[in-house]
Amino acid sequence: MAPRQTPDDPDALLPLRPVELLLLTMLAPGDRHGYGLRQDIIDHTGGKLALEAGSLYRHIRRLEDARLVAEAASPAPDDERRIYYHLTPFGRKVLAAEMLRLRALVRLAERHRVITPARS
Amino acid sequence: MPPTPLARGERLYRWLLRLYPERFRHRYGDAMLDFYRQRRGSAGPGVWPRILFDLFVSAAAERLRTEPRRLGERITVNSLLQDLRLTLRGLGRTPGFTAVVLLTLALGIGANAAIFSVVNGVLLRPLPFHDPHRIVDFRHQDPYWNISEPEFKDYRRDVRPLERLAAYTGYDANLAGDQEPVRITGARVSDGFFDVLGVAPLLGRTYAPDEEKPAQAPSPVIVISEAVWRTHFGSDPKILTREVRLNGVPRRVIGVMPARFGFPEAGTGVWLPLRLNYDSLWTRNNHYLLLVGRLRPGATAAQANAEANLLSHRWPKDFPETYAPDQPLVAVVQPLRERVLSSSRPYLVTLLGAVGFVLLIACANVANLLLIRGEARRRELGIRTALGATGRRLVTQQLTESGVLALAGGGLGLLLAWGGVRALLRLAPATLPRLEYVKLDAAVLVFTLAVSIGTGLLFGLLPALRAARGGAAAALREGARSSSSRGGSRMRRALVMGEVALAVVMLSGAGLLVRSLRSLQQVDIGFDAERILTARINLPPLDYQVDARAISFVQQLEERVRALPGVLSAGTMGWTPVVGGGGTWSILIDGRVVKDIAASPSADPQQVTPGFFPTLGVQILRGRALTEQDREDAAPVAVINEAMAKKLWPGQDPLGHTLKMFNPTSPWVTIVGVARDILSRGVGKDTPATMFFPYAQAGKSAYFIPRQVTIAVKTTQSPEAVSRALSRLVHELDRGAPVSEVRSMEAVMGTALASRRFTTLLLGWFAGLALLLAGLGIYGVIAYGVTQRTYEIGLRQALGADRGSVLGLIVTEGLRLTGTGLVVGLLATLATGQLIRSLLVNVGVTDPVTLFAVALLLAAVAALASWIPARRAMAVSPTEALRGDG
Repeated sequence: MAPRQTPDDPDALLPLRPVELLLLTMLAPGDRHGYGLRQDIIDHTGGKLALEAGSLYRHIRRLEDARLVAEAASPAPDDERRIYYHLTPFGRKVLAAEMLRLRALVRLAERHRVITPARS
Repeated sequence: MPPTPLARGERLYRWLLRLYPERFRHRYGDAMLDFYRQRRGSAGPGVWPRILFDLFVSAAAERLRTEPRRLGERITVNSLLQDLRLTLRGLGRTPGFTAVVLLTLALGIGANAAIFSVVNGVLLRPLPFHDPHRIVDFRHQDPYWNISEPEFKDYRRDVRPLERLAAYTGYDANLAGDQEPVRITGARVSDGFFDVLGVAPLLGRTYAPDEEKPAQAPSPVIVISEAVWRTHFGSDPKILTREVRLNGVPRRVIGVMPARFGFPEAGTGVWLPLRLNYDSLWTRNNHYLLLVGRLRPGATAAQANAEANLLSHRWPKDFPETYAPDQPLVAVVQPLRERVLSSSRPYLVTLLGAVGFVLLIACANVANLLLIRGEARRRELGIRTALGATGRRLVTQQLTESGVLALAGGGLGLLLAWGGVRALLRLAPATLPRLEYVKLDAAVLVFTLAVSIGTGLLFGLLPALRAARGGAAAALREGARSSSSRGGSRMRRALVMGEVALAVVMLSGAGLLVRSLRSLQQVDIGFDAERILTARINLPPLDYQVDARAISFVQQLEERVRALPGVLSAGTMGWTPVVGGGGTWSILIDGRVVKDIAASPSADPQQVTPGFFPTLGVQILRGRALTEQDREDAAPVAVINEAMAKKLWPGQDPLGHTLKMFNPTSPWVTIVGVARDILSRGVGKDTPATMFFPYAQAGKSAYFIPRQVTIAVKTTQSPEAVSRALSRLVHELDRGAPVSEVRSMEAVMGTALASRRFTTLLLGWFAGLALLLAGLGIYGVIAYGVTQRTYEIGLRQALGADRGSVLGLIVTEGLRLTGTGLVVGLLATLATGQLIRSLLVNVGVTDPVTLFAVALLLAAVAALASWIPARRAMAVSPTEALRGDG
């Protein structure tokens, strides 16, 4: 459970839950609404992970409580009902910290020959 | 505008959002609704289970997270463990109470688990075929029932919603393998049969399309079932290289079907290719095929049904010589599942309803016990509240107690169910389909767990809420003298009334079924079924190609059977009365010419030896019975039954009239006698018009002499005593002729009623259980009331009230309690009676005899249940009662 009093130190929130990591990553390029996030995750995971409304908004609630995500102004003014979310600067910091942590882990796995290093 | 399903779903979803904590709903409710709209827009109806599951789980999780915070006190693992300890200690201190509650729950939950495992196995489990929902059964309505070859061909070509269509027909054969020949249930199947069902063979292959094409010789291949492979060939891995003899014809085994591929019947052991002759016009009238089809993806059985009927309604115009105008050809295409299960569904649903009632009654009883216990503990609760326990905490503790009781009761119930299912399987009639799937599996475990939890909530909630409301101060002030509070007693009485009402509904249902069964058992079967042994004998067709051989076999067998000690007479017939039935054949009567077969009358043929009439005790109403003089070369004669006489010669004497098969070469047959109607085609069915031909003449006068016959033997003692001797005699005459279905005529009648007897028996048991539980409930309330009123009773006695009036006072209270429940229950019976109407025979839902008997029975039980505690109270001397603190 996300702590109610969020510290400003991003590392205190790590590691992120897999679903939250996915959600934050999908929010990184720009604002999305709930159903859009579901579709992004379905696309990314090849359909293996399809979130339903209840669990999706529970995650969003948790991320909002932790101040990683916030409601955004709707980009389509004709549809007030649709609520968009965006990554807060703090959220971006946490996501980056988590990615760095993961990168270190990937490097370690490469050295241990679990996977072959990606050529980039 | 009527609400579309979409809008209705949305309303439901919006309503369900209330499950979430208010804060969460305010923040995300609109967004979730929006999400739902987009989700529904792009998905089929199958998403609802997922949506609901997600909703319940996340709402529960969100609530668990928020709720404790709103309270001063948190539910923690520690507090739960503490509650658990308290509960176990408390239950241990009152072993009697605990035992009664656990037993009640175990009975209720066990009955549910056992019946659910039957329902799960028989009704809920998908059929063991590929994509079973796309498989349809295809047949014609009465009077055609089946489908002819040209019709099959047309349907297969023209009914577009069907991707594939295949034909089959039953075929019993004598199979010779490693052991003695046995009779085996088989089917002849057209090409594509196995593709329709989508099941691959365990070994080898199924038929290639060309193996169905007409050929000169009998096709030399065969597919066998796993069971036949195992029991007759010892699971020989080289079976595919072997030959088996079927009806004396050697055939190569090309495939073995997996176990549980039981189609068309569970016990089908062999499948032979069906060779169709599409070109003969005559065959359009020969309705003998059954069809099974596979729908195209997305197509429905209703669409296929509509298209098939477009086709079949055209045929009377195209082939007026085949179809009678007053007998339209109606095709019935329905999901195979429907066809297989529709006859057993009402019975099982009734049973499931019955055990549900039993559980509700058990819940009411347990809730009552808990309430009484709660009254006794009001002081304890009062003290705990005074010491700072919140109402919430007390509720949690009460619910913990209910939960522990429910789960323990559920565990015991599972043990009972385990035994119960085994007993059920032994009792269950073989006519119930798919019995092999009935077992305690994961689904039953989940069901039992859910039922246990639901039960715990149901019987625990009332006492828990009362515990929470009970004012601490009041409880303490009342002190030791506290009698039961008024609200509690009202609640308990209401519960008992509910119980009585449920018991009335169940007893009435059981009573109505018992009366239906009795009325069916008393149906006039038209002959004397006592002390008759029957057996099926199958003469291998290749060895008995000549009629004379079959005639002489039957004659010799009857002679030898008659010579057995204890045998009075013996007779042989083509099919067994009560359960059997011949086909229906078109005939001509009295030299009357008809335009075509569509206009000809029809009747069922039965081929019998002269021993048939005396052995079964079938009365001859007019003329004479068939005799030994009606030999093969004598003038052809027949006896007809009353139904046929009434149908074809109304108001006339049919003796001396003539009939013949609808066939130019058959001879005219003279009617020499009229016999009483005897039951055939199953209990509750009308006897069809039937004509009895002498077995010896049937080859000429009725197309053929059957090689599969039933022999009936009238004995002086128990018919089972001669069954072994009968089998021995058949074997002495021909080792290659298997004997099967050796049983008494009473057993034959028993199988005809087996499903109904099974249901009636079980329902009777459950109703008895309900009565017992309701009686215990009444007893509990009265007994508790009496203890509360010991002081008052003592006072009345001390003031000179005689024993009788006090006793009457208490018993009257019990009866009043029951009376209300009785009235409610009778009304409920009238309301719910429609649900079992389809199971009732010759008895109405409002049958006064049944309802009166039920009312009387319950009144007696109630009187007894209140008399026992009343007597006990009277035994206490007034001085003692007044001295005690009440």
